[in-house]
Amino acid sequence: MSGDPGERSTPRWLVQGEVALCPCGCIGRRKKGSFVEKTISGGSNVIRQAVFSEDVAMGRGFLQGLDPRVKILCLFGLLVVTAFVRHLSILLALYASTLLLAAVSKLSLGFFIKRVWLFIPIFTGIIVLPAMFSFITPGNVILPLWSWHGEPVGITSQGLMASGIIVARVATSISFVVLLTLTTPWVRLLGALRALFVPKIFILIIGMAYRYIYLLLNSVTDMYMSRKARSVGNDQGDVKEGRRFVSATAGALFGKSHALSTEVHQAMVSRGYTGSPRTLTTSHVRAMDVAFTVAVLLTAVLVIGGDHLLGG
Amino acid sequence: MRDLRYSYLGKFPALEGVSFSVSSGESVALLGANGCGKSTLLKILDGLLFADSGEFRAFGQEVTEDNLEDEQFSMGFRSRVGFIFQNSDAQVFSPTVREEVAFGPLQLGWKVKKVERRVADVLEMLEIPHLADRAPYQLSGGEKKRVAIASVLVMNPEVILFDEPTAALDPRTQQWLVELIAELNRSGKTVVLATHDLDVLDIVAGRCLVFSEQHRIVLDAAPTQILNDRDLLLSVNLIHDHTHVHFDPNTLESAGSAHGHEHDALHHVGGSGGEHDRG
Repeated sequence: MSGDPGERSTPRWLVQGEVALCPCGCIGRRKKGSFVEKTISGGSNVIRQAVFSEDVAMGRGFLQGLDPRVKILCLFGLLVVTAFVRHLSILLALYASTLLLAAVSKLSLGFFIKRVWLFIPIFTGIIVLPAMFSFITPGNVILPLWSWHGEPVGITSQGLMASGIIVARVATSISFVVLLTLTTPWVRLLGALRALFVPKIFILIIGMAYRYIYLLLNSVTDMYMSRKARSVGNDQGDVKEGRRFVSATAGALFGKSHALSTEVHQAMVSRGYTGSPRTLTTSHVRAMDVAFTVAVLLTAVLVIGGDHLLGG
Repeated sequence: MRDLRYSYLGKFPALEGVSFSVSSGESVALLGANGCGKSTLLKILDGLLFADSGEFRAFGQEVTEDNLEDEQFSMGFRSRVGFIFQNSDAQVFSPTVREEVAFGPLQLGWKVKKVERRVADVLEMLEIPHLADRAPYQLSGGEKKRVAIASVLVMNPEVILFDEPTAALDPRTQQWLVELIAELNRSGKTVVLATHDLDVLDIVAGRCLVFSEQHRIVLDAAPTQILNDRDLLLSVNLIHDHTHVHFDPNTLESAGSAHGHEHDALHHVGGSGGEHDRG
């Protein structure tokens, strides 16, 4: 078929079958997925996790039932208290309380612990690792590794304790933040920040960024998939090609996001937006919120008092 | 609207001397191929873009960038004209559907109680109360379109502008939307919609403005007259040689439908519907 004469002429090769490459594995080599694919799928997973968290946040647990403003203030207070604690035992007790809160909020403990401890080795481990050694924290060497001028060098009990305190403090602090984000829908969290005098425009920008990052990530995924669908393995130039693709995608995405942001702004102006957004706020402080605040205050007093009594 | 001209970046013309008027309660379809200037015209009608030259008057006053900076005029104009964008993703920007629908009335300074009542009513009317607390990215294309419509209807505007309302929607949602547009017009709303979907013309429009690819209006007439004018439809790229336009003036006062037919193994799709347009 070559199309109607005088109209469009379809090339003959387009309507004939092509001798395709054999999929049986007799040609080419297996290779690992590219860094681009890994980055894109990683990004998608983060967003998917955020969506999954929204479902958890909409659940009917203890913390989910509290007013977000109360929750922010109380958990922020507990964060400050955690920062002042100097004893490992008290920090461990506080960490245990976060696990208790997660349990009564019907969070999966495995998921909660994994989410908290996933980043600790990266962000804290590297910092505290040298502090365990005698050349940073002198003291009783409990695990000698080598000697320097006749003196044993290794991990000291004081260094281990100091590192333990830092790790426990970070883990407890992250647990409080994760508790807040996992048990509060994003919208209500933003609303609560607004009620706590965070500037309106700041809230609006964060909200829209969260909303459109999903859309733009979908665009990136589509662009990558369309490229992948058209490419045949070329492992020699994979990284180079990948870099080229990333820069081209970034440019195209910038154009797309600019066009989208113009339309979004027009849609807002069309409905009366003049630069000062007004939003619905429907949070109410109830008896449960007051009780939780009192409990948090008592805990704070006990923790600070206990830490002071233990001395050091 | 008189002798309106608009060009992008001063060198890509979108409108070349467009003049027409719309009376209260009319339903007007802007017909034309992709890129003929329909969407640009709608944005000018909504006071989002401003013409390079020419005059646009609405509700007895000229609509200019200066006038729209006046809060009183701006609020009045925004509350009386609603615009449903072709790309629902651009229009549905709030974190939840409830917030989205409430956005317009809240910007106009309505009381929260009244807004909440209106939001509940309009969600009920569009059969989407179950979506109220959902995030927009969790919605399907059809659901997003309903939310976009709800976010405009909640303000009860006198004039509603639709940009390619049936584009990229499944047949059932298209049918629902077409019936809704007709119903809104019957209830007294002025409707202006940009489309190149000839199938729905008889239901949604009482009058059509046909745009040429040179960005000018070439005919202002009833749908019946336009659907009968095969040469015109061909010249403005609304149908192609193989499109069959069926029209039976005996059965309906104004009825038309255009159907494309596949003529060979490669796609040769007919001239109606379903395509994105940034005209």
